[in-house]
Amino acid sequence: MPRTRSGSRRLLKWIGNVLLVLLLVWTLVPFYWMIVTSLKPDREIYGFEATLYPHQPTLAGYARVFTTTPFLKYVRNSAIIAGANTLASLLFGCLGAYALARLRFPGRALIARGLVVSYLVPPALLFIPLFAVLSVLRLIDTHQGLILTYFSFSVPFSTWLLMGYFHSVPLELEEAALVDGCGRLGTLFRIILPMSLPALAVVAFFAFTQSWNEFLYANVFVNSVEVRTITTGLTLFIVEDVFFWGPMMGAAFLSALPPLVVYLIFQRWVVKGLTLGAVKG
Amino acid sequence: MALSAGQPDALREELLVRAPATARRPRHSATLRQEAWLAYGLLTPTLLVIVFLVAYPFASAIYLSLQDKMVGAPGRFVALDNYLDLLRDEVFLRTAWNSVLYTAVAIALKFALGLTMALVLDQERRVNNFFRTLLFVPWAVPVVIVALNWRWIFDDLSGLLNNFLITFHLTSDIISWLSDPRLAMGCVIAVVVWSGTPFYSMTFLAGLQAIPKELYEAAEIDGASVVQQFFFVTVPRLRTIFLTTVMLSTIWTATNLQFVLILTRGGPASRTEIFPHLAYTTALGARRLGMGAAVSLVFFPLLVVLIIVLTRRMLRQADE
Repeated sequence: MPRTRSGSRRLLKWIGNVLLVLLLVWTLVPFYWMIVTSLKPDREIYGFEATLYPHQPTLAGYARVFTTTPFLKYVRNSAIIAGANTLASLLFGCLGAYALARLRFPGRALIARGLVVSYLVPPALLFIPLFAVLSVLRLIDTHQGLILTYFSFSVPFSTWLLMGYFHSVPLELEEAALVDGCGRLGTLFRIILPMSLPALAVVAFFAFTQSWNEFLYANVFVNSVEVRTITTGLTLFIVEDVFFWGPMMGAAFLSALPPLVVYLIFQRWVVKGLTLGAVKG
Repeated sequence: MALSAGQPDALREELLVRAPATARRPRHSATLRQEAWLAYGLLTPTLLVIVFLVAYPFASAIYLSLQDKMVGAPGRFVALDNYLDLLRDEVFLRTAWNSVLYTAVAIALKFALGLTMALVLDQERRVNNFFRTLLFVPWAVPVVIVALNWRWIFDDLSGLLNNFLITFHLTSDIISWLSDPRLAMGCVIAVVVWSGTPFYSMTFLAGLQAIPKELYEAAEIDGASVVQQFFFVTVPRLRTIFLTTVMLSTIWTATNLQFVLILTRGGPASRTEIFPHLAYTTALGARRLGMGAAVSLVFFPLLVVLIIVLTRRMLRQADE
């Protein structure tokens, strides 16, 4: 007997719901294990008595994170570096994007191309020579060194994203302001930027999370506790192959929170920036 | 559209140069010169970044790869010796095979799972926004944390996976997920897929939602089945997004060393060794900067093709 159309619709709906449940399990179980581990006493974490859920939940793991590890120092370093990088990306991005979107000059297409290429060149290719560059500049093991190297991915991306957005701001408003004697920079700051807040939010989001989450450069260019960021600091919870999984999962959960929170706030706009405008609409 | 599709790319970039934004102002040469100076001034920070943090390091990576430089010691020019040594190295050849396998399988799985996720989320359902937020969360978690978390899940004695399998009597032996040569690569790929799938679903879902519903209605009236609608309406509309997403993701997946570094360090017996991680251990573990640069550059020619194609596409899109 041939299936009717509404029958196949209902079947499709069912398959969809089953798949949704499976995908949710696949996605959420690791988070479950992370949080549950952070709330267990040690004897429930290791060995034959390990449990699938905490029988006697405790915050002792978190207490150990704050009292016996430099966790707060790592967080401070990450915040300084991500914060500085976000501000600089916004500023440099706005200035450069305005020039590319509104001014006429030789080399414009070349620079636009350079932005995209820079964004696509992977850090795995650059970390060895950048290590040499930072050594020469004596910036190994400094906040400035990391902030500087993070520019290599955040500034081209910000400039490109904002350039696309500035293009979409209607020209008439700006011309009126120019005629009224508002200078070039005046129009940028008084007319264009207030109209580009969603784009600025996306740029800030990406600059912040990319810097916060960055691992490779932070791992290669920094050694000391005073400069170490949270991502590389977490791996130090492993001491000579002994893992302190309770506190580590606690610290991991806490350090995933800032990017998670900004993701939840900005998620509506984030998708647009994801592929540098590869998706339209 | 048919007309413009036939235009050579060079012409499109010409269009980009002559942006409409500036066309209306008078072409006074003094004003123009002033405008150019202002532009270069505004672009100075960006240009410095591109030149000194991307272009120069890239060029010096090539130069480094032609030397036998060690950390903290001057190097000697050895021409292509590093590359020739690599071709004779068994670990390198294994790494090459691993890298291809790892990238191809991870991309294929992310694509399949990402498309499934996007299609499921595109169905009509209450609180779909909530499910979408949940399913995309892995994307927002730092890769290091993802890798550490999974290393703990795979732990021999106390990890979730063995714990679960033994509790429910699905196995009586302890499985060494990350140190068994047959399983390690599979485990690494699983983690990469877990972490990378949301990126695919996000772009695919945005594409799905941009398809006008009338197209499906028209296909329905013409008697197209659900499967036919998928292949003749959905897939053609998403082709551009598929390509861009896969190319971007290939660059990022092939060059990400964090998963391997934290999960297996390339082991057991180089079974999970991939190029970026080998470059890392060569340059920083063995302190052979020149050789490390050579390793990282070997896989670059493939990436160059992707970078060139992607750059073209993005410039074209910015133009539209």
